[in-house]
Amino acid sequence: MKTEMSGALRASPLIRGAIAFLVLAGAAFFMGEYHNDVYRKLLLWITLALGYNFLFGICGQVAFSHFAFYGMGAYSIVIFLFQLHFPFPVAVLCGIALCVLFALAVAIPSTRLEGFYLALATLALGQLFIVVLNEGGSVTGGTGGIASYRLPEIFGYRLRGPWYTAVIALLVVATYAVLVRLDRSWFGRACRAVRDNPEAAAAMGVNVARTKVIAFTLTSALAGVAGMVYAFVDNTVNPPIFGIDNAFLLLFMVIVGGAGRHAGAVIGATLLFLLPFWLSPLVGHHQALVFGVLVVLAILLQPAGLVGIYDRLADRLKGLSAR
Amino acid sequence: MQDFFELAVGAAASGCVYGLIGLAYLLVLRPTGIINFAVGEWAMLGAFGGFVLLTQYEWPYALGMLVALAVMFVIGWASERLVVRPLVEKGAPLLAPILALLGMVVVYREIISTIFPPDPMPVPYALGMGRLELGPVGGSYQSFFTIGVTLAVFIATWLFFERTVAGKAFEAVALHRRAAALMGINLSRVMALSFGAGAVVAGLGGLLVAPNTSAYYLMGVPLAIQGFTALVIGGVGRVAGPLLGGLLLALAEQLTVRYAPIPSGYAQGVPLVLLMLFLLFRPTGLLRARA
Repeated sequence: MKTEMSGALRASPLIRGAIAFLVLAGAAFFMGEYHNDVYRKLLLWITLALGYNFLFGICGQVAFSHFAFYGMGAYSIVIFLFQLHFPFPVAVLCGIALCVLFALAVAIPSTRLEGFYLALATLALGQLFIVVLNEGGSVTGGTGGIASYRLPEIFGYRLRGPWYTAVIALLVVATYAVLVRLDRSWFGRACRAVRDNPEAAAAMGVNVARTKVIAFTLTSALAGVAGMVYAFVDNTVNPPIFGIDNAFLLLFMVIVGGAGRHAGAVIGATLLFLLPFWLSPLVGHHQALVFGVLVVLAILLQPAGLVGIYDRLADRLKGLSAR
Repeated sequence: MQDFFELAVGAAASGCVYGLIGLAYLLVLRPTGIINFAVGEWAMLGAFGGFVLLTQYEWPYALGMLVALAVMFVIGWASERLVVRPLVEKGAPLLAPILALLGMVVVYREIISTIFPPDPMPVPYALGMGRLELGPVGGSYQSFFTIGVTLAVFIATWLFFERTVAGKAFEAVALHRRAAALMGINLSRVMALSFGAGAVVAGLGGLLVAPNTSAYYLMGVPLAIQGFTALVIGGVGRVAGPLLGGLLLALAEQLTVRYAPIPSGYAQGVPLVLLMLFLLFRPTGLLRARA
C-alpha cells in the first residue's frame, strides 16, 4: 500500500504540483494583511531566484539584467493597460513580447562576450533601464513612477487579498515546473555542458551560442511575467524597486543557496529575503553589513551553498544507517 | 571657444579620475585575470579617508593624502589576503574571487554607512579654491592638480612596467602564470602587490574627485562603471588605455550635457551606452597590445 502511494506520487508531477500549489496558496488564507504582503514578496523572490538560477547556476551566464526584465514586465503591463488602454490579455501578450524582443536584442550580440564581460554589459543595461525610467516623463512617471491603479476585473471578478496571493503561488509552482522539466531535458544538459566546458559542448554538437540565447531569453521572459504579477502587489511601480542593488541581491541569493540547484534557489531566496526581518531587531541598521559578510563567507567557505551542507549531512546520515 | 576650453579642462579632470579607476582595474586584471568590481568602493574609501584626515583632523594636504593612500594599500593587500587568496589556493574557478569581491562591495559600503552619517561629506581642495588661466585655457586649481597627479601616476606606472625588473615580473605573470612561477617569480607577492597598488590608485581617484562630488557612501558603483567603461574604451593591452578611454568618456559626457538636445538626466546613460557598444563591437578597445 505504502509503496503504491509513493509510486503514484513519483509518477504524476501534475498531482505533486497541485498539492504544492494548494499548500502554498492555502497558507495565505491563514495570514493577516501584513503577513500576506511579506509572503507575496517572498514568493516573488523565489520565482525570480529560480529563473536566475537557471541562467546563472545551470547555464553559467552572470547577467545583471534579470531584475531589469522584472521591471520591464511590471512597467509594460501598467503602461499597456492604463495608458494605452489595451484589453488585459493583449496587454499581457504585448508585455511578454516586449521582454522577449529586448532579451533577444541583448542576448544575440552578447554571445560574443565571455565570463564577467557579459555581467558588466548587462549591468550597464540594467542601469540604463533605470535612467530611462527616471527620464521617461509622463510615460514612465519619472522618478515617482506610476501609482494608484488597480488590477482590472477579469470575468467580473477582482482578485484581492489571499486570492491574489494564490495567483502568485501558481506563478511559483508553474515557474518551478517549467524550469525543472527544462533542466531534465536535452536542453538542460546542453546548458550545463555550455557552462562547464563550451569547447567540449561544441565538439559534442551543442550549438553554444543558440543555447545561451535561448536560456537568456527564456529566463528573462519568466522574469518579465513575474514583474507583471508584481505590478499589482503594491499597485505602484517606481525606479528604485528595480535598481542594481536588487540585481546583486538576486545573485547572492542563488550563490548562498547553492548555484545550479533549484532547491538552492528556494533556500537562498527565502533566507536572504527573511534575514533582514530577523536581523534588524537584533542589530538595527547594521543588518546590511552582516548580510554582506555572510555572502563573502558563503563564497569562501561553502562554494556549493547551503544545499551543499544539506547534501553532506544527508550523505553522513545515509552512511550511518547503512552501517 | 572660451566655453569649449572651459569644458575641455573640466572634462579632462573627470576623465583623469575615470582613467585612475580604469588603471586600478587594469593593475589587478593583468596579473590575476580578476575583474575587481570593488575598485569603485575603494575610490569611495579614499574619499572618506580624505574626509577624516583632511576635513576632520585638518592635517596638511600632502601628509593626509600620503597616509590615506598608505591605508588604501593596506586595505587592498588585506582584501587579497583574506578574500582572494583562499579561493585561488583552493583552485576555485576564476569566477569565485570575482563574486567574492562583489560581496566585498556590500561589506565596504556598509562599513562606511555604519560609521558615518548618510549625508555627503565635504573634502577640501588640494590647492584651495581658485582659478588658473593659461592663455585661453582656464580651469579650477583642482582640475589642474587632478590632471597633473594623474599624468604622474600613469608615467610612473608605465616606467614601472617597462623599465624595472619587478615590472617585468608583473608582465610575465600576466603572460603566463605557470611559466612565471617556474622562473622563480613569487606569484602570491605579485598578486598581493597588484591588489595593494590597485587600491592606492582607486583611492587616489576618489580623493581627487571628492572635493567636487563630496564623499558619499553610494559614490562607488557609478565610479566603478565609469572606470570600467574607460578601461574598455581604451583597451586592457596598454597602460595608457584607461587614460585615453577616460578622457574620451568624460568628453562625450560633457558634450552631451552641454550640446545634445536631450534631458540632462540622459547624460548618465552616456557611459552605459558606450560601455555596451564597445563591449559588443570592439572588445579589445582602441589601443592594441604590443606584440
